[in-house]
Formats: sequence, structure tokens, C-alpha cells
Amino acid sequence: MISARERERYKRQMILFGDEGQERLKKAHIFIAGAGGLGSPVSLYLAVAGIGTITIVDMDVVDQTNLNRQILHSDRDIGKKKTSSAEEKLQAINPDITVYAIDVKIDETNISDLVTGADGIVDALDNYPTRYLLNEVAIAENIPLFHGGIRGFYGQATTIIPGVTPCLKCIFPKAPPREVFPVVGVTPGIIGMVQANEVIKYLLRCGDLLTGRLFIWDGMQARAEECCIERNPACTACSGLTDRTKTGKKK
Amino acid sequence: MTVRIRFFAGFRELFGADIVTDMSAGMTLISLVTTQTKKNPVGYAAIFDEKGAFREFVILMKNSKRIDIADAAITPVSDGDEIAVFPPVAGG
Repeated sequence: MISARERERYKRQMILFGDEGQERLKKAHIFIAGAGGLGSPVSLYLAVAGIGTITIVDMDVVDQTNLNRQILHSDRDIGKKKTSSAEEKLQAINPDITVYAIDVKIDETNISDLVTGADGIVDALDNYPTRYLLNEVAIAENIPLFHGGIRGFYGQATTIIPGVTPCLKCIFPKAPPREVFPVVGVTPGIIGMVQANEVIKYLLRCGDLLTGRLFIWDGMQARAEECCIERNPACTACSGLTDRTKTGKKK
Repeated sequence: MTVRIRFFAGFRELFGADIVTDMSAGMTLISLVTTQTKKNPVGYAAIFDEKGAFREFVILMKNSKRIDIADAAITPVSDGDEIAVFPPVAGG
């Protein structure tokens, strides 16, 4: 039930999707892997949109070199756990939602427990090995995965619906080499907004999702493009899944 | 016959946004990209390994459809095709 206070807070967006839409957002639980460059804008905008429960996971401490892009964290947070800083900011920006900020390294032993009850998983990570774990659990638990990645002025995003769209391994079967990637804060801002927009549309069941499409952003040229992507019948992660396209199965 | 090879992300920094080139008939995806990138040794080394094979993480698209790098040597390229070559971006 939307309270009078919430009705006022969300008034301008409820013109778009009404009580029913706002209820959907309120009942939703979104899991965000990472409280860094992507996790910051994603979590902030999902919080202000009124996503009822946000779980955000990170294992790092705020470092001065994070502050050009990780807008959840401030200069005064340097040395604090990112989860502590994230929880504080998200609850301050919207005290009407529930935030679980979990200080842990995501690995194969805890990932299933971490995503329990989630309606969507946001990939706000900075490495492929852990992304592949998210991909596996998304497939195993049939939870949509909202992928984003950035480097410099470039970014990419896609929405993965297990059994319907290509999974992360279909698209990127091999991880690129690890590097200290260059980045300017606007890039995760833009890609994070694409991811958050996808989450909101998915929960509202409206619009066209970035399914079967890889969104590619080139900030230098101010150009957004997309490539069609298809399931790989030989994919090591999802080839065993029945095609759910025809049944239209949706959580 | 004219084709366009488009580069994204880190590869764009090495080659620019694209190369539009004439090509002879009978070229495959790998022979086309090899020919066009070899002039730039640093860029070439980012895309190909020492044996001249695509590095395993490279993503190839032909006319917006994904092509597995294992199929690059048997994928013909035709007049007007648009090829995209890019690495996954990993940062977050």
C-alpha cells in the first residue's frame, strides 16, 4: 500500500504509471553487485524511484581514487567501508526503502544466498570472473541480469533474461585481460542510468527492454549504437536451458 | 567491393572509429581484418595473438550479427558488409 507520504514523494512519476506501477516498484527487491562507478548511480536512482528493497554488495573501502566517479561516496568517507557509506547515502536520499548493504566478496559459495528473493540482479562489477558467477546464478535462479561495463568514454549494456536472451557467456565467452581501466565519471553515470532504466521498465512491465541487443556508448563521439546478439547453442553456461521465449515466462 | 570495419572501445583508440576499404573477392573475415590492421603493429597485437589468430576475448560482428572467432576463417565478406571488432569492456 502506498502511503500518503510516498504518494507525495513519487507524485511526478505516478503520473506515468499510477498506483499499480509504484506498488510494483515498492514490492521489488533488486540486488546490486558492486557499490562503485556503476553501482553508485544505479543504486541512487533505484532508491529515489522507490524500489522497496535494495541489496548492495561490495568488499572494498572508499579510496580517494574512487571519487571521480563513485558518487555514493564523499571525501569524508575515505577509509570507510563502501557498504557503510552506501547504506548511509541511500537511506538519507530515501528513508522509505529498505537497504541491505553487505560487506562481502562475492564468490561461488555465497552468491546463491546473496540473491535469494531478488527480482533482478544488476551487474555493477569491474571484472569478468565475478560477472560469470552472477550470470550462472541468474540462470540457475531464473532472475534477470542487467549487465553494464565501462572503460574510458566507452560503455556497454544489455538485459539478460535467462532462457530468452543470450546470457553473458553467449555474448562474451572469454574475459578480457585484467587492467587498471581508465574512466571518467560520466561514463558509468550514463551506463548506470541505462541499467537503472532497464530495471524500472522490467518491474513495470512496460517499454522495450535491451534484450537481444548490446547497447554500445561512445562518449567521445556522443554516439549510441547497438548490435543484435543471439543465444549461442553451444554456450557453456546456458545451452542446457529450454527456450522460454514461447512460453513468455516472466517472474 | 567496399567494406567498412568498425572498431569500438580500446580498439577504437588504436585504429579510429572505422576503416572503409576496397577489398578483393574471396576474402574471409579473418583475412580482411588481418590485412587492414597489420599496418598498425600495436593495434594488430591487441587483436591478434602471435600465431595470427584472433585473441580469445575479441568480439566480431558482421552486419550486426555476432560471428564466433572460430568461424572467422570460413566467414566470407561481401560488398557492402559492415564488420565490427571490439573487446568487452570490463570496468564498473
